[in-house]
Amino acid sequence: MALLEVNDLHVEFTTYGGIVHAVRGVDFAVDEGETLAIVGESGCGKSVTMQSIMGLIPMPPGRITKGTALLQGHDIIQNKIIDGRDIRGNFVGMIFQDPMSSLNPTMTIGAQIAEPLEVHRGYSHRDAMKRAVELLDLVQIPEAAKRSRQYPFEFSGGMLQRSMIAMAIACEPLVLIADEPSTALDVTIQAQILDLVESIQRETGMAIVLITHDLGVVARLADTVTVMYAGEVMEAGSVDDVFYRSAHPYTLGLKEAMPTNQTGRTRQLKPIDGTPPDLFAPPEGCAYAARCPHAMEVCLDHNPDPFAIHDEHRTKCWLHHEDCDVEAEGLFQAA
Amino acid sequence: MVWYTVKRLIQGIITVWFIATATFWAMHQVPGDPFIGEKAVSPEVEANLKARWGLDKPAYEQYAIFLVNMARGDFGISFTQESRSVNEIIQERFPVSAILGILAIVFAGLGGVLYGALTALYRNQWPDVIIILLVIIGISVPSFVFASVGQLVLVTINQILGFTLLPVAGWGDVAHMLVPALVLGLGTMAFLTRLMRSSMLEIVSADFIRTARSKGVPAAQVFSRHQLRNAVLPVITVLGPSVASITTGGFVVENIFGIPGLGQSFVLAVQQSDYGVIMGTTVFYGAFLVLMVIIVDLLYAWIDPRVRLE
Ligand SMILES: Nc1ncnc2c1ncn2[C@@H]1O[C@H](COP(=O)(O)OP(=O)(O)O)[C@@H](O)[C@H]1O
Ligand SMILES: [Mg+2]
Repeated sequence: MALLEVNDLHVEFTTYGGIVHAVRGVDFAVDEGETLAIVGESGCGKSVTMQSIMGLIPMPPGRITKGTALLQGHDIIQNKIIDGRDIRGNFVGMIFQDPMSSLNPTMTIGAQIAEPLEVHRGYSHRDAMKRAVELLDLVQIPEAAKRSRQYPFEFSGGMLQRSMIAMAIACEPLVLIADEPSTALDVTIQAQILDLVESIQRETGMAIVLITHDLGVVARLADTVTVMYAGEVMEAGSVDDVFYRSAHPYTLGLKEAMPTNQTGRTRQLKPIDGTPPDLFAPPEGCAYAARCPHAMEVCLDHNPDPFAIHDEHRTKCWLHHEDCDVEAEGLFQAA
Repeated sequence: MVWYTVKRLIQGIITVWFIATATFWAMHQVPGDPFIGEKAVSPEVEANLKARWGLDKPAYEQYAIFLVNMARGDFGISFTQESRSVNEIIQERFPVSAILGILAIVFAGLGGVLYGALTALYRNQWPDVIIILLVIIGISVPSFVFASVGQLVLVTINQILGFTLLPVAGWGDVAHMLVPALVLGLGTMAFLTRLMRSSMLEIVSADFIRTARSKGVPAAQVFSRHQLRNAVLPVITVLGPSVASITTGGFVVENIFGIPGLGQSFVLAVQQSDYGVIMGTTVFYGAFLVLMVIIVDLLYAWIDPRVRLE
């Protein structure tokens, strides 16, 4: 059994325009010391997936209609409390995309880092503040003691994200969820933040779920990858499998749309034509069919179940059906 | 913070000086003369006044005397009530207005924050709809209408009950204060309710609230530590202007309910062309409001660090 295992998660939002089927049967698993990357273009349901696990989506309009998320075997969708303790900030920490707005403007940085220690570990305010200074030091904020008494508006974006990390790891969580932690930051700062997360993981052995749409980041940090599209998992497997033996046309499309910085290699960036489907009324068949260069008749009417390519490598694409004899260019197909 | 306080005080003094100057020259432009006509004061009083205020000297000298007296805290003397100084009148009557005003502000502030939070909690449900409807009435109907209607309702209630539940007018104990204070605070309460509602709705979906919840902070603590403190900020900024509107509203409400406050004496002074009381009271009110705004600003700075450290 994996440390965190999500099965068949479905999330909807009731809006004036109808019901948005934001997440439609997502599965993934992540183990201790492992990094799972969730990739996919914006709006595909990455944030909603992780926020529903953390109980952070507003209900209403949101609703988790189906699925489980097992943390060490406990379903945390049903119950956020394990052994009398809230799992949030305790066993699972989370950092968000926009550090500027993610911290309380009227509380000192130190007090915000201290808060989970007071809530979950029963620290006195004094002790928690002391620990907060150590944590700020750990995330490499200079003059940590002085900084801990300052407010968010006195920090730069990079330092705020470091503080968010300090806050999320204060109680030494088993899992750290990072929702595009570097997207809102300068390119040079991005790398520093990711390095920091990686080095903390090496020390603590926590699992990381990293949401990103930067495939370069995935290649550098992740052990396993889950590719999402229109609220579904299109392909999942180890980094090597998904990158070098891509088995879904959408994964191929993502790769071609990404710039490479390998020297001596120049090629045209190729955007994926079309737009993601309307999540008010998701298509009957494969969600990607309308944009897929290899779409067949079956793709339009029937949504495939995942096919196992080998080991943990799975993909949701009719091209891998045993009766399909289409050879798509560049696509990995099991023998 | 100390520097900020000093800066605000200096600004305040300049503002009061402007108010005093404007009042002085405005009063000089008003037609009429308190020393002629049927309500003229006795010759001794006239001589006394002229000596004290330099009324036989050129206007700019009078202005200088006026400013010096103001600076010393001497607000002048009444032209109609013999031998009474404006300071005495203020001392006697301001406490009454202050009690009424404070009570009105407390009603308005508590009601505004409470109803605002309530409407935000029940957004688009019937408590929200009803309160918002009342808010629209509260904002658009002037306080003298509420005062009259309030009296009418009180009279009716007392008649039906057959005894005096709450007195309809006058001053004395708490029973006299409740209805006038409520009437006086109603407009401000409505305004604050609306402000608090939008502020709460904005904060509920703020990213930092989500962060607090992601830390496992219990709901009650999220509400008190993260939500309320931030949502109440805009309400505090308008408390200064609210004091102003409640103060001026007091002129009317005091008259209708027969409350012997400073507002009532101010209105009386205007009716009687009592220049001394008009000028003294105006400057006093000006200084009071400026001080209130400064106190509110300091309170705001204390709650919001971004202002404090500017
Ligand atoms: N509160 C909400 N109300 C309605 N729809 C929502 C809400 N939150 C998210 N959605 C919808 O859910 C879908 C997935 O969003 P999200 O998970 O944020 O995407 P991303 O993969 O970019 O993180 C989007 O289509 C979005 O419009
Ligand atoms: Mg997102």
